[in-house]
Amino acid sequence: MGKAKKSHPLADATRPNLLEDVFPHTLPPLIRLNGPIIERIDGKPVEFDVSDIKSRPIFISDTTFRDGQQSLPPYTIDQMVHIYDLLSRLGGPNGVVRQTEFFLYTKNDRATLDKCRELGHKYPECTGWIRAVKGDFRLVKEMGLKETGMLTSCSDYHVFQKLKFASRKACIDSYCEVVAAAFEAGVRPRCHLEDITRADIEGFVLPFIDRLMEMSEQVPEELSVKIRLCDTMGFGISYPGAQLPRSIPKLIYKLNRECGVPSDRLEWHGHNDFHKVHINGSTAWLYGCDVVNTTLFGFGERTGNPPLEGAIFEYIALKGDTCGIDTLAITELAEYMRSIGLPIPENYPFAGRGFNTTRAGIHAGGLRQDERIYNIFDTEKLLGRPPRVAITDKSGADGVAHWLNEFFGLKGEDRINKIKVHKLARWVIDQYDEEGRLTAISDKELEAKAREFYPEYWKKYRQA
Amino acid sequence: MATVAERVKAVTARVLRVPPEDIRPEHSFTEDLGAESVQSIELVAMFEEEFGIEMDEDAALSVETVGAAVKFITNVCKEQGVDVEE
Repeated sequence: MGKAKKSHPLADATRPNLLEDVFPHTLPPLIRLNGPIIERIDGKPVEFDVSDIKSRPIFISDTTFRDGQQSLPPYTIDQMVHIYDLLSRLGGPNGVVRQTEFFLYTKNDRATLDKCRELGHKYPECTGWIRAVKGDFRLVKEMGLKETGMLTSCSDYHVFQKLKFASRKACIDSYCEVVAAAFEAGVRPRCHLEDITRADIEGFVLPFIDRLMEMSEQVPEELSVKIRLCDTMGFGISYPGAQLPRSIPKLIYKLNRECGVPSDRLEWHGHNDFHKVHINGSTAWLYGCDVVNTTLFGFGERTGNPPLEGAIFEYIALKGDTCGIDTLAITELAEYMRSIGLPIPENYPFAGRGFNTTRAGIHAGGLRQDERIYNIFDTEKLLGRPPRVAITDKSGADGVAHWLNEFFGLKGEDRINKIKVHKLARWVIDQYDEEGRLTAISDKELEAKAREFYPEYWKKYRQA
Repeated sequence: MATVAERVKAVTARVLRVPPEDIRPEHSFTEDLGAESVQSIELVAMFEEEFGIEMDEDAALSVETVGAAVKFITNVCKEQGVDVEE
């Protein structure tokens, strides 16, 4: 170790290689995978052909109105209908955002569902969410839903400590009775295996899944049970080599290949308690789970769920195409969320007000030369958000020039060069050196100065 | 009429707030005369104003010493038809 084993000759070049096949800028950076991945399971090497992700029909599902709402003050009916409308636009005509789920318990819950369906969108399909109680299927049936999620918690923390079942068998029998009631009502059950990453997989989960699969064989395909793997506490681990019950690859393998649950009936639902939520969802996609369950901006119980907009960009990066997704709806959704009092942190990826704002003068200099140096992709095209520079004592003349050009909307040859911004740059520096300022300078202050120092530009570009 | 060198020295003294007699042709604007980032921009802007010329931003900012600035400005003045005393 530590001793060089292979020499690496310099590939000298006089022109840059910007690796545009991976970083096209007009799309998020593409994710190119070389399959297969080998994972050792039960002592044997198992292959996962991750390169098939480009052609596999993977989807995003949404739980903004269910898990997403559990952590927030309730939305009004109108707010939910507007969000649903934008979700539909975001997911596009191919239904990349395939389903979203609704509570059904209150009059308002049911009115919301009705109003969303009145919009006539094909996607996201509306599904329900109920407790594992037979009587609740009446609600699902009355609302005319084809599918509902139901709690089938599977760790002993839940089976014994929370639900107080006398035995695991009694628990499974009870769950299966509810599943049978769903079949009888003509409703497809989606079993939410709560706390699966803390469950006895061989001793409880797999026998339960075996029973569900047997039951599913007795009903038409469209009623067969779907399985949602709920990483309730965010314990799931994406690394190859991790052990059950925390290993996402092994969990999916067991359900998919040992129990025979098809990929299109497997869904991953994560939580962000250990900052792993997005990558765990993507890992589930790669290892054979077709659906990742998400919420807008990751709002959800405690630390939240996989952020829908993160899954959207992951999807495009894996597919190499927008597949009909309207990414501009993300910005509209973020603005809407802010307008109804739901804060999104400034530095939150893709949606925070400052996600593509640089404060460093040296980065602003890079942006001035070629936007691609410091912008993750064409954020103006995909999100309607050109890269910005926040002005502080660290911004330098480059930062000030960038701000001024953005403000006046100047591009190419029309851009004001660094020399001509010296008055504004001096004013900025003096704010800190002479006035002892400690805060960033607001756009409003800069606008006033731009008007004072550059009246000819103001007249031409702001008054026109 | 003052020479280019005298005018460069006067502008430099005013912008960088150093006595003109302390400025020498071999002095670096940044290392010897202490020009900070924004002051370098101000210097170029003030030279443009003083001589009534427009300079290429990158080329002008890459000039390091007072003597080199005198030569650079003299050339730009010639290119842009501005009469100056050498």
